[in-house]
Amino acid sequence: METESRNSAVSLDGVVKTYRLGEPVHALDGVSLEVPRGSYTAVMGPSGSGKSTLMNLIGCLDTPTEGEIFLDGQDVTRVSDRERTRIRGEDVGFVFQTFNLMPRLTARENVALPMVFRGIGRAERRERAAEVLDSVGLGDRLEHRPNELSGGQRQRVAIARALVNDPALLLADEPTGNLDTETGEQIMDLFEELYERGNTILMVTHERSIAEHAERIVHLLDGEIERIEQLSGVGR
Amino acid sequence: MKLLESLRISWRAIRGHKLRSTLTTLGVIIGIAAVITFVTLGAGLQEGIVGDISPDDQRNVYVWAAPPENSGQGPLAGAQPVFTQRDANQAANLSGVEDAYVYTPVPGQSVTYGNETVARQSGFIATGAGYLDDDEIADGRRFTGGTVDPENGTLEVVLNPAMAGLFEQNVSVGDTLTLGVFQGLQVEVTVVGILEDSESRSAFEGFGPSPRLYIPADFQLIGGVGEQPRYIAMVAEAPTRSDADIDQVKQVTEQYLTGPDSDAGERAASQDLAFELQTSTELIGQLEDVLNLLQNFVVGIAGISLLVGSIGIANIMLVSVTERTREIGIMKAVGAQRRDILGLFIVEAVILGVLGAIMGTALGLLAGYAVSGYIGIPWVFPARWTAVAIVVGIAVGVLAGLYPAWNASRTDPIDALRYE
Ligand SMILES: Nc1ncnc2c1ncn2[C@@H]1O[C@H](COP(=O)(O)OP(=O)(O)O)[C@@H](O)[C@H]1O
Ligand SMILES: [Mg+2]
Repeated sequence: METESRNSAVSLDGVVKTYRLGEPVHALDGVSLEVPRGSYTAVMGPSGSGKSTLMNLIGCLDTPTEGEIFLDGQDVTRVSDRERTRIRGEDVGFVFQTFNLMPRLTARENVALPMVFRGIGRAERRERAAEVLDSVGLGDRLEHRPNELSGGQRQRVAIARALVNDPALLLADEPTGNLDTETGEQIMDLFEELYERGNTILMVTHERSIAEHAERIVHLLDGEIERIEQLSGVGR
Repeated sequence: MKLLESLRISWRAIRGHKLRSTLTTLGVIIGIAAVITFVTLGAGLQEGIVGDISPDDQRNVYVWAAPPENSGQGPLAGAQPVFTQRDANQAANLSGVEDAYVYTPVPGQSVTYGNETVARQSGFIATGAGYLDDDEIADGRRFTGGTVDPENGTLEVVLNPAMAGLFEQNVSVGDTLTLGVFQGLQVEVTVVGILEDSESRSAFEGFGPSPRLYIPADFQLIGGVGEQPRYIAMVAEAPTRSDADIDQVKQVTEQYLTGPDSDAGERAASQDLAFELQTSTELIGQLEDVLNLLQNFVVGIAGISLLVGSIGIANIMLVSVTERTREIGIMKAVGAQRRDILGLFIVEAVILGVLGAIMGTALGLLAGYAVSGYIGIPWVFPARWTAVAIVVGIAVGVLAGLYPAWNASRTDPIDALRYE
């Protein structure tokens, strides 16, 4: 376990997350999982099975009630709030179902935002943001605000923002959930490209067709891993 | 995150709510504008007064009698008519006293020149010839005083240029005027001199240029029948403005006034009045004390306004933090540290505070400039207070922003992202 966790991009060991609002809810109930570097994993499960909770814990947005989480061998459950914030900004890219873009900022400024908090200069930020936006096919939408963009374009801005700091790990919680099928496929093509470039991808979805882009599917049920399905690669 | 970055982001947030931000800073604007206006006026007033004391004036000792509780309230505060012309004559003969003369404001109604009449509610100044100096007279000479025969129009008066200019055709030396005085009495007077400027001649007259007409103190004779007239005040001149000479004048004058020989002493004793003997410099010191008190009062009121202003900013910052919970969540999710968020909101509050301070200062300077021009005192740029205003603006911002920013910095990213 110890050696394995050193080699994995993500490693979970008996992770429990319990919400206590009156009746305790075990959103995650003893989850152990290895995500190898450069792999492409999909997480599926019915609504309320704990998929988002899992992503938030891995993304250092939340802390588990029990268990350990290693990112690149580092136990992120034992580090300070400062360090977890740094990891969020630099080591992990997070793509949300609802995009979560800053409404008053342009596409370019949104993408540059994580670099602001790393203390990177304005000129460099602007250049890098434009570059990444170009790579997701939005080179001609730099100065548009989110409300001037379509759903698919917004999600691509969000993906560009997740990628701008060159994170080792890309987390996506239902990235196509708010998009139509065709736009969803375009986003999947983008993920495919990132995967081929060597990024580790962990993606939540409830659509089988989307999940089949991955190497394997982790099935969650009631906060536990029901089974892990290896895909032959035929679907991809 | 660098300060410049915080400034940029915060400035955008403020610009996104122009009206709200302006209204929020109103309390600060009003508070600072009030302070700046009043310190400008106060400084101008002080400079106006101090500028009014000529070296010649500095050797004058001003004397009046007032109830002890009026002591320290400024020139002529509570003064009662106790002095006689004889007191002034006696005082002038005391050793070390160069000259002495009475002084009293005469209630007036109007001045007529030809067929033109102007109202003069503020009255005239009745005093001795020594009150005006020859070298202050631009045209003509001082009045000689002495016995007056008002029926023959031989009463001599001196005008200042502001007074002379009240009429369509400027009054000049040799012209005859008709003064409307108490009880409807009309008196013909002859202009014998025009002063070089319209400044105040002594601390008794108030400050700044205004139209004034000087008449001999004997003029009072027409008011009282039989009884010796009593005057409100007396001026005793020392030969030089050295402290020793002035102290000598004060000492002998007070000795005389409180002694058995003086008319004033008898009346003052019967009315429980105390004599005040002050130089212009001392009087101005007292006036400045009063001014400072007034200024402190205004600054206190403005302080309350500033407090209300900071509560306003704090309130709007709390609203702003709540409104932007989701944005805070996003920023935290992409790597904003607590201190980044803290800095962002404090900077926003400070911008509001400083903006209010700058606008308030501008408004205050403008108002101070306009009012000092209007009431005729010099305009003084309150450099120190302008700097203080900006510092106060920053302090107000920090104070008002602290709690909301701290709240924002502790926002949990997960909760914030879920916030609708
Ligand atoms: N902040 C929270 N407080 C209380 N219960 C929560 C909270 N977040 C999630 N849950 C509960 O945890 C369970 C898992 O939620 P979630 O991970 O969002 O599921 P999924 O993303 O798979 O739909 C659900 O039963 C949900 O109600
Ligand atoms: Mg979910």
